Amino acid sequence: MTSPTRILGLGSSAPSLRIAAADIAASWDRSGGRSQIAACAPDEDTLTLAAAAAQAALLAAGIDASTVDGLWWGTTRPPFAEGPSHAVLASSLSLSDHAGGALFAGSTHAGMDALLSATDAVTAGSARVALVVASDALVPGLGTSFETRCGAGAVAFVLAASGGTATIAARVTRTHPLLDRYRGDNESATRDLYDPRLFREEIFLPVIGEVGTHLAALDPTAWSLPDPDGRLGAVAAKLLGASTPSSADVYGCIGDSGAAAALLGAAPALDVAGTVAVIAFGGGRTTGITISAEAPVPGAAAVLATLAEGRPATYAALLRARAQLVASGETIPMGVPPESALFARGATEMLQMLGGRCADCGTINTPPSIHPVCLSCGGSKLDAVPLARHGIVHTFVINQTMPAPFVAPLPIAVIDLDDGARIMLQVVGDGTGLEIGTHVDLVLRRYAHERGVPVYGWKARSRTTGASS
Amino acid sequence: MSWNKVAVVGAGLIKMGELFDQSYEDMAAGAFRAAVAAVDKGFDPQSVEAAFVATQRGTLWGQEGIGGNTVPSAIGLAGIPCTRIENACPSGSDAFRVGAMAVASGVHDLVLVIGVEKMRDKSTEEGLLSRAAAGHPILTRGETAPVLFAPFATRHMHEFGTTREMLASVAVKNHHNGSLDPYAHFQNEITIEQVLASPPVCSPLHLLDCCPQTDGAAAVLLAPADRADEFTDNPVFVAGFGVATDHPYLHEKTNFVGLQATVTAAERAYAMAGVGPSDIDMCEVHDCFTITEILDIEDLGFFEKGKGGIASLEGETSLTGRIPVNTSGGLLAKGHPIGATGIAQITECWWQLRGEANDRQVAMRNGFALQHNVGGRGSGVSVVNILTNIR
Repeated sequence: MTSPTRILGLGSSAPSLRIAAADIAASWDRSGGRSQIAACAPDEDTLTLAAAAAQAALLAAGIDASTVDGLWWGTTRPPFAEGPSHAVLASSLSLSDHAGGALFAGSTHAGMDALLSATDAVTAGSARVALVVASDALVPGLGTSFETRCGAGAVAFVLAASGGTATIAARVTRTHPLLDRYRGDNESATRDLYDPRLFREEIFLPVIGEVGTHLAALDPTAWSLPDPDGRLGAVAAKLLGASTPSSADVYGCIGDSGAAAALLGAAPALDVAGTVAVIAFGGGRTTGITISAEAPVPGAAAVLATLAEGRPATYAALLRARAQLVASGETIPMGVPPESALFARGATEMLQMLGGRCADCGTINTPPSIHPVCLSCGGSKLDAVPLARHGIVHTFVINQTMPAPFVAPLPIAVIDLDDGARIMLQVVGDGTGLEIGTHVDLVLRRYAHERGVPVYGWKARSRTTGASS
Repeated sequence: MSWNKVAVVGAGLIKMGELFDQSYEDMAAGAFRAAVAAVDKGFDPQSVEAAFVATQRGTLWGQEGIGGNTVPSAIGLAGIPCTRIENACPSGSDAFRVGAMAVASGVHDLVLVIGVEKMRDKSTEEGLLSRAAAGHPILTRGETAPVLFAPFATRHMHEFGTTREMLASVAVKNHHNGSLDPYAHFQNEITIEQVLASPPVCSPLHLLDCCPQTDGAAAVLLAPADRADEFTDNPVFVAGFGVATDHPYLHEKTNFVGLQATVTAAERAYAMAGVGPSDIDMCEVHDCFTITEILDIEDLGFFEKGKGGIASLEGETSLTGRIPVNTSGGLLAKGHPIGATGIAQITECWWQLRGEANDRQVAMRNGFALQHNVGGRGSGVSVVNILTNIR
């Protein structure tokens, strides 16, 4: 038996939009119950959700990003089907240039894959501090019964060989190479189940029962169970003799969060001492683990409140945000192609929000790549420093008039950051309640999806207006 | 003592508007003909020795890569030296300055300065609004033209109590002046209520706080001061000019209640002309948005910082006010064909100094008129030209 892996802290995130299942179902002349789902705004995706959860986890764990040895990320929808998804996320988190880790995709089991791989790295000693993120934003086929369940969210754990308050212990996996939910190569939407009865009787309940029985023997005090259709989670709990799983609260708040669902479903239960049994399911694999907490895991208490933040949106807004409803006509291309030299010079400074601090007078010039000399004193020695991530609005506008692909209204604010730097950034939300003096935090967002390439940068988010969360 | 080395002996423009039926070359030819026709004692078009062309948007469909050299060909002067000046919204006023320096240097005597701009050959989305996607991919993403000025409105309101009614009064006044200007794009009066009720474009600016997209052209003919009498008995002289730059990004501004480029350009122009704000009888200033005129009249020294809004509301900038501003209708009513704008403003100053502004004529007590533009990303450049009818 190798030494157990400890959890130092956790964090979570959910996207901005909330849509009632009934509103989705009504669009297809069906009834949809009382549940709701979370969905990404046009500037959010699995990477921005992952970044937010990871930042929260590092904060809860009291770990400086530069000391993280690796990032293990699981999602069914990395922003690039092939490309620098992992590197962009790691850079935006200001991890070391030498940080390792891996990106897992391919099924909703990817979040568990990330956790197990990170656990193995810590156990093996190849990583002292491991950052695990599971994030997802499902995209269902339009008009499927699955559509009212497809949600989005993220969870992150900071792991180490010692310290913390919880241990990742037992592990059992069952493979079963049958199709459940999937999408083929070049397909954009995830397919619904072929036959719900076949799935329930021949696939889901047998493997959940088998894996769950192993975990039940360890006398867990809480469960995180998959709930593919809004009913099977409760059926599985009954089958295993479990009380209401902690994952039910998460599903109720944000819907099925795919690769994040298993770990995110466990997170609220880690706010008290006990053993949580976690089952991840997807892609023909079912894995159960237990997490034993001798005391509350830092960050766990905030999970449900974090997931509860969001603003109501219409079904049409949801479809537009997912690019499933697209206006006809041309869009205006970004002047600077994302593959071009300006990005090569400026990618790191914009992903990490760096400024150039003048060695002579202390003025912060932003961004460094376009400031060879200091604006204030002309000094030529500028040191790259991370900008403060909090500030106050000095002035702002709300732009109502832009060509596609821009989405109006778009608030833009000049912000005085806590370190004295001044910066102008877009503000998330519609600007309701935005004022001179409003306190804002900087959050990673997708500024554009340009020529098929996601372009990320930081935006301001008001601390005082729920409408712009 | 004013500089006065160069005279403006002719000036003219074409009717501004959405000139879908005119090519860029048609507009240039029309403005040149108007300037030539305005020379009191006659002017041989073939005597033009060199031209400076102001065109800001150099991406006209079908003309990509062509600089200023299309203009001499279009106006029957193929072969003369011609240089295109691009300096953002002050392109026209900077071309005027460069032309004046060319004459003063003695290299050329008779110089044409012409501004030509097609704003409406492209759709609004592919034309003016496309700058939302231009520039820095993050720091200027979404930065359409009003984003350059609306933050100043927000802050001016916050610091000085400037109101939307005060902003609106600028548009009302300029539309009134435009209704008296046969060359203006808009020749209708509007009310404060109409401005307030117009749809938001970039809060706090609404549609009628914004200048239109206008095609247009304007031209002036320059000569050495000592040859002015060959062309007119009523000459106008270049008393002085100033240009200044500022940092190009909005986040680099130290304040959002004034434009430093304007302040510095004005200081330089006043010093060169040997005058101050109180010597100016009328001015044509950059009112791309209502807030811009309020910033301008403060930055140019006509009103104390923070008082521009109330001064506008109380009529101090009207045709009969203490300092008449934008007697032509300004960019808000006459239009803003960018390269042509500065030259068209100078034409209005020329008419006012010569007593030829008809229903718009204001009292020229001191004999000085001021023309101003400011623009570019972050309002990073401003030009001020001062003209006089005093020899």
